[in-house]
Amino acid sequence: MGGGPATAKTASYVLVAADAGTTVAMNAAGSTTITVNTGLFAAGDTVFIQNLGAGACTVTAGTATVATAGSLILPQNDAGILYFTSASAAIFYDYIQVGATSPLTTKGDIYVYGSSDTRLPVGSNDQILVADSSTATGLKWAAAASGGMTLISTTTLSGASVTLSSIPTTHKHLQLVILNCLQVDDGTRLGVRFNGDSNANRYYMWETFGSETNASYNADIVYISHYFDNGSPSTFNSVTTFWNYGDASVQKMASNCSLGKNWQTDTNFVAKNNMFLYNQTTAITSLVLTMNTGNFTSGTALLYGVS
Amino acid sequence: MTKSKPQVKIVNCETGEEIVRDATAAEIAQIELDAVNDAARKTEAEAKAAQKAALLERLGITESEARLLLS
Repeated sequence: MGGGPATAKTASYVLVAADAGTTVAMNAAGSTTITVNTGLFAAGDTVFIQNLGAGACTVTAGTATVATAGSLILPQNDAGILYFTSASAAIFYDYIQVGATSPLTTKGDIYVYGSSDTRLPVGSNDQILVADSSTATGLKWAAAASGGMTLISTTTLSGASVTLSSIPTTHKHLQLVILNCLQVDDGTRLGVRFNGDSNANRYYMWETFGSETNASYNADIVYISHYFDNGSPSTFNSVTTFWNYGDASVQKMASNCSLGKNWQTDTNFVAKNNMFLYNQTTAITSLVLTMNTGNFTSGTALLYGVS
Repeated sequence: MTKSKPQVKIVNCETGEEIVRDATAAEIAQIELDAVNDAARKTEAEAKAAQKAALLERLGITESEARLLLS
């Protein structure tokens, strides 16, 4: 293929009219170029270009235009035909398009594109592929972002109050799960204070969903239960989510749902949903759980960080 | 016989350390205040529940039937 006598080149070269119908064979250890200028060739002329050297040879549009559907970069042992459609325009038919030559070398490599087709070496175990415009390929391997729930503490409810202190603020939200809470005094309810704050007019408890209200901040505590029965075995359970608890720039909100026996008619269950507002911006680093009166008998408080 | 002080439990979520101790005077005061404050709320809640029950009885319908009417 190709045709005509071959002229060996060992350095970058600018095509001349006499190259029409010949082979230009580049052979250099380093990168080289073959430049195509206008006014030297006629429509229908061809030049066969091959690269024998280790250095990549790039067919470069000088004053002429050079189009290609493949690559103008010839790695070693690649070749192509430069076909002129006019004195100022040529098409380069790349024999071995880079796309046809896999750059992959290692198990798990993936084939990507930066400024040319290339390989992205496999990442470490459990890493995921992440878009990153600052890298050469726009991609990188990175550790998967942690998500889900992390159990921060498990505490048995006892005494008059339980304080969960030194809560790390590294999570997005907190979820407090109360399991099988039982109290000494019948018909009492379980309250929570954010950061142990018992100042008046800091909390608002909203028990009606789907309605609009003026938060009057009329309380010094919020209750995450109704007045529930103290008959054993306990049936009271509750889940409370504290949103953005570590963000010291926003007032705090929490949502709660609970289910337990009615203390007056203990064959009945009471299901409740509450929303809580706390008009302070301090990050929540402790929660105080307390019955409105009397002690806990038993139960478990599970505190989760949610990310 | 002396009345024992309420106990409070403090759990350090970073270290897992648990301390159980007698409530301080301030904590006892808060416990007593909570009981007083909530007594009124509980009375109010009980009164409301009694009113609701009486109204349902007068109307001769159940709570779920009342909900159905309002839904």
